[in-house]
Amino acid sequence: MAILEVQHISKSFGNTEVLKDISFSLEKGKVLSMIGSSGSGKTTLLRCLNFLEQPDGGVIRVNGETLFDAADPQTRQESEIRKKRLHFGLVFQSFNLFPQYTALQNVMLAKELLEKEKPDYKARKKEIHEQIEQEAKMLLDQMGLSDRVSNYPHQLSGGQCQRVAIARALALKPDILCFDEPTSALDPELTGEVLKVIKGLADQETTMIIVTHEMAFARDVSSQVIFMDDGCIMEQGTPEEVFGNPKEERTKQFLSRYTKG
Amino acid sequence: MKRRVLSVLLCAGMAVSLLAGCGSGNSGKDSESDKAYVQDKGTLVVGITNFEPMDYKDESGEWIGFDADLAKKFAESLGVEAEFVEIDWDNKIMELDGKTIDCVWNGMTLTPEVTSSMDCTDAYLNNAQVVVVPKEVADQYQDEESLADLNFAAEAGSAGEEELEARGLNVTPVTAQADALMEVAAGTSDAAVIDLLMAAAMIGDGTNYADLTYTVHLNNEEYGVGFRQGSDLPDELNSFFASCYEDGSIQELAETYGVQAALVEE
Amino acid sequence: MTFSEQFPIVVNALNGGFLQTLKLFFVTLIGAIPLGLIISFGSMSRFKPLSYFTKIVVWIIRGTPLMIQLLIIYFMPGLVGEYNIWGGGESGRFAAASVAFIFNYSCYFSEIYRGGIQGVPKGQEEAGLVLGMTKSQIFFKVKLLQMIKRIVPPMSNEIITLVKDTSLSRIIALQEVIWAGQSFMKGNMGIAGVIWPLFFTAVYYLIFNGILTVLLGRLERKLEYFR
Repeated sequence: MAILEVQHISKSFGNTEVLKDISFSLEKGKVLSMIGSSGSGKTTLLRCLNFLEQPDGGVIRVNGETLFDAADPQTRQESEIRKKRLHFGLVFQSFNLFPQYTALQNVMLAKELLEKEKPDYKARKKEIHEQIEQEAKMLLDQMGLSDRVSNYPHQLSGGQCQRVAIARALALKPDILCFDEPTSALDPELTGEVLKVIKGLADQETTMIIVTHEMAFARDVSSQVIFMDDGCIMEQGTPEEVFGNPKEERTKQFLSRYTKG
Repeated sequence: MKRRVLSVLLCAGMAVSLLAGCGSGNSGKDSESDKAYVQDKGTLVVGITNFEPMDYKDESGEWIGFDADLAKKFAESLGVEAEFVEIDWDNKIMELDGKTIDCVWNGMTLTPEVTSSMDCTDAYLNNAQVVVVPKEVADQYQDEESLADLNFAAEAGSAGEEELEARGLNVTPVTAQADALMEVAAGTSDAAVIDLLMAAAMIGDGTNYADLTYTVHLNNEEYGVGFRQGSDLPDELNSFFASCYEDGSIQELAETYGVQAALVEE
Repeated sequence: MTFSEQFPIVVNALNGGFLQTLKLFFVTLIGAIPLGLIISFGSMSRFKPLSYFTKIVVWIIRGTPLMIQLLIIYFMPGLVGEYNIWGGGESGRFAAASVAFIFNYSCYFSEIYRGGIQGVPKGQEEAGLVLGMTKSQIFFKVKLLQMIKRIVPPMSNEIITLVKDTSLSRIIALQEVIWAGQSFMKGNMGIAGVIWPLFFTAVYYLIFNGILTVLLGRLERKLEYFR
């Protein structure tokens, strides 16, 4: 069964239709890449999945549970949204690390706040804290940052920051991890280290949706590719289909710009 | 003059404030009498400045002086407490009209400006504007004719300044009477014109200005107590003064503070 | 009276005056720091009438001299209405001065807060949201410290200005340190015609502002560990 099902999502800002009838699904452990030019709606789609924007129409299901249905007002309640967000993680283009916390504290903060709300937190405070810290350290280790745990964001390079941000998203064990152009804000020589980490996650069968302009990387890492154009899904399929043998004229134009450039 | 500027500004403030609607209201003519108002709240708030020997503090911080002691007795006769509040002298009329004080009782000269903006009692003390000169030259300045070549210092806006200007004498305005004295002591002015009562208390043997003395009286003026316009308290205080003359208590008090010579004779 | 005889008397009076100055200073801070936050929320409100109203109030308060506001607040109730709401004594003057200062300074603070709040990047809130934090957790755990870091330098300026502005309260005869200094010119406690106490009050301001500068600088440095 698909872990994520998206049906007929639409979204407008004022008179501008940004998303038009978007439908797709994603299997557990697979990687979906979204490509397309700027303004095609990829980022808005990711933000809808993370409930940073509310779609005007459509349905979002995770593991068969309906998280959002525009026709059902109950699923649109603000109070419900917070828990639903936890199904998704999001890594931002500009990292958005919390500057006043160390790398380790950035990874631990949200998890600790969640645990605090549980009734038995007070009794097992120390134990819980140690467990969260240990998990966070393991994640940072996995990102190759074990010697950077006590550094503040401004003391880290862009690539290191983005790897902390990935660890921070993973700490909440989301069902689906989303990346919004994770390497676009980085110097070219730093993109490699971030892409390597994402590739490592793909190898461990982490379910991911990646919005990216790195075509070679998308082709290499994903099992499914969506090409978006002007708010619509123009073409979707395996990397071989979309990159190797695109059917649509728009897709060909877009890809030729990237392969030439 | 300053007062007029302030009231213009206040009116401007009233215009922009949300209270603009009731901006024309004047507190003076209340339906309730001022006496009843004071008795109702139980205190007579007396606006003063620190002015020896009229209103000043003793060692324990209590307000005493010829005016302060009289004010306490008057308040007692009304069945209320006297509360002394130091005010900014420039704002005295606003303080009265704003009901933040109930009277001005501080050796206040009854000038046309004062009597037109407050309801005042009859005079209870005489005062004069006197010329202050160094002792060693005092002999040369015993009449008005001898003053022609002197450079005077006087408080800006004071009666002393007015008298000097009316005679066409050279005057440098300073901010306070005390400053005028300092000018003479320092030799920056030849002479000063200040209140007689102040001169009596502040210069001569045993004071800060032992080398100064006063000679010519430029005019005579009188002290009174000011209340809000329309108040019934001036009449009340006039009859209180009368009773104090009768039983001799005001004469006794005047001697205590060394102002007996200035007392207005009944 | 010699200078050495005058000195202890004057210092004693100035200490009393400066105590009033300090009281007004701290009462203003305690009142204006939270009230400024409420006003800044008002001016940032999405409810347009509220935000326009707040902005007009801030404009009026910041656009008129504090001295006039003191006169209006202290004298207007008695001039326009039947009663002086403040009471005539020293405590009434202090209450009126406190209200005027708190109101005036909270308007200045609100603009600083607004800059601080709007200066925190939107991404910080979004990062918190996708990590499942509540709005209040995001405010207190993520945004607040970043805001404080942004507002400390402009607040330090205002706070030091406030120390000196307290002297304006002498217009309604609040007997703060400058009033105490001036009293020796007219005559007080047997000392008259003496100017130096007025100038000596500057020493009080200078020392207190020196202490504040050190403390606020320390706070600023404490927040330098992040950017």
